[in-house]
Amino acid sequence: GINGILQPLESTISDAERFKLSKHLYLNCKCGSHFKFGGIVSSNDYQMTFNGIQCKKCMNQLNTLNVTSQLEQRIRSFISKYYQGIVICDDSTCGMITKQISVYGKRCLSNGCKGVMRYQYSDKELYNQLLYFDSLFDVEKNKNQSLRPLYESEDVTKPQELIKGQIDALSEQNRDNFNVCKSIVQKYLSDCGRRYVDLGSMFDFMQK
Amino acid sequence: PKKYQFRTMRTKILETADILDEQIDSFTKIIQQHYQIPSSDFNNPSIISQSEIITVGRIIPDNPQVESIQLNSSSLALETSRTLGIGKRIPLDLSNLTDYSLFPGQIVALRGKNASGDFFKINEILEIPYLGSPVSTNDELTTYYENLENDLKILCINGPYTSSKDLDFTYLENFVTKVNNEIQPHVVIMFGPFIDISHPLVSSGNLDIESPTGKKIQTLDDIFKFLVSPILKKINNKIQIILIPSLKDSISKHAAYPQDSYDKKQLQLSSTKNIKNFPNPSIFQINEILIGVSNNDIFKDLKDINKGSPAGENRFDRISNHIIQQRRFYPSFPGSKSQRKITSSNDDEDEFEFLPSSELDVPYLGLSEFNDVLPDILIIPSELRFFARVVKNTLVINPGVFMRPNSSGTLAQITIEKPKIDELTKINEDGEDLYLHDIWKRARVDIIKS
Ligand SMILES: [Zn+2]
Ligand SMILES: [Zn+2]
Repeated sequence: GINGILQPLESTISDAERFKLSKHLYLNCKCGSHFKFGGIVSSNDYQMTFNGIQCKKCMNQLNTLNVTSQLEQRIRSFISKYYQGIVICDDSTCGMITKQISVYGKRCLSNGCKGVMRYQYSDKELYNQLLYFDSLFDVEKNKNQSLRPLYESEDVTKPQELIKGQIDALSEQNRDNFNVCKSIVQKYLSDCGRRYVDLGSMFDFMQK
Repeated sequence: PKKYQFRTMRTKILETADILDEQIDSFTKIIQQHYQIPSSDFNNPSIISQSEIITVGRIIPDNPQVESIQLNSSSLALETSRTLGIGKRIPLDLSNLTDYSLFPGQIVALRGKNASGDFFKINEILEIPYLGSPVSTNDELTTYYENLENDLKILCINGPYTSSKDLDFTYLENFVTKVNNEIQPHVVIMFGPFIDISHPLVSSGNLDIESPTGKKIQTLDDIFKFLVSPILKKINNKIQIILIPSLKDSISKHAAYPQDSYDKKQLQLSSTKNIKNFPNPSIFQINEILIGVSNNDIFKDLKDINKGSPAGENRFDRISNHIIQQRRFYPSFPGSKSQRKITSSNDDEDEFEFLPSSELDVPYLGLSEFNDVLPDILIIPSELRFFARVVKNTLVINPGVFMRPNSSGTLAQITIEKPKIDELTKINEDGEDLYLHDIWKRARVDIIKS
């Protein structure tokens, strides 16, 4: 039966909440500008046009290949980070961080410590990171303005927000481009073991 | 192959531990059988004893937080299996040894004593027995002999295939002409990366590529489809091509080792019969010859602590010997790391970006082990200087890289004489005559400029 704490389904959590700890998608422009991309939102560094992302510093338009290749490199960097296989002790007084894994796996390697070792960069964090990148190029999420915000609400540099009609038009015009970008994230999501665990665990309670 | 199609990004710590434990236990059995030691003679090295014992375990740093590059002869320890020593770890004293080469991840069998309880003093390192070499029958060899017109010629080429300044494949295209008209090998083994995910242009924001046929290039996969595949299709279809992926390949979504083969459909090479896609690593046969390939830079990553005669040897020989003894393509543990600082701009999120390195998916490392025999040829590309060496009668080759960052590079051409029965070593097994392939006697490796 169902016991323990009742938790909201991941899908009911807002993107702002769910991707709070995910890393931003940084893009480079050939002019050297290095900025956070947050979807069709207002930014001091870029603006969306009907033909994609435009750098505000040099007014250069980033072509699709530029965006997809940087997105793909960023994804692979997180996968490489994951495969560093660094493990950490959950006892905060211990502080053991290592790439060594005992033949008992969860046993801490520091003498006498009863803490439990776990991967520092978890598969859940990586999976969430991929979902965050996926959300940035999701036309519906852009239209609904349900993306994680690029600026903190108290940030004084926060620019004027875009108006809804503008966002809708830009979303439609960029649909094809965004779908190509989304396909890059989907390529890796399709190999991600975590995604299948998610589906599996939904049926877990029915089998008990 | 199915078993390589495991999903990545989901490594479980207990499964990792299981593999690490099994490695020690399986070598304990090998040592026991080879030296005919009763299992009761194997003991836990972390317990004080008055007399000498024999033990098996994994070489590790005695401080878990130290990286392997900082290790020396007084900072090594031995990890036991669950069965032999309930996973206990004990520092090692190497002072009685005159010759050794040890590295983290290595499974060793030791004779020695723990007199004080604080460390295990090694008196002898027991050599791990070598796997046997593959053999063929008279009939098989005769067939291979008769099927070959000339000596067998194999090319081994290792990416990258462009310089670090561009993603221009003209160099490869010109080389294909040379392959078809001049070299005319039977087989070409090509290792990725074809399009390196860490290529400087990929992150610069200044990537503008057009396909010769005017196809719109929107992704790195498109570059492969519209620029690389057409070049591979130009290779004479009588030449067999074997493609081995790299952990740096953008085209591979399986960014972990062991790595699934490229997807032929995704490369748009489905119609090409002479192109075969194999996983990384894999072992396959060309005629009688057993070839093991692995695209994970163990020659760069394995750092041993050594003294005496092994230290005097060529480093490539030493590492090759470890691979052969440990019976797996990547015996180091933990894997390597590669990172660069992100060109930070305005804010606090100053962090490192990780680059592809060894990407070990430990629970699946069983797929990187040799089976019952040692391959005749091991091809393990490395960023380090090209070489071809014979180690324990195995031909070990690093072809170098096809393109260096700013210039052309190298590749390896292996020429193997047709198998002449009367020149091969005959062994008799269960009344049947079998022949060792003696590839190291029949092969010649030329490192040629790309
Ligand atoms: Zn710019
Ligand atoms: Zn601890």
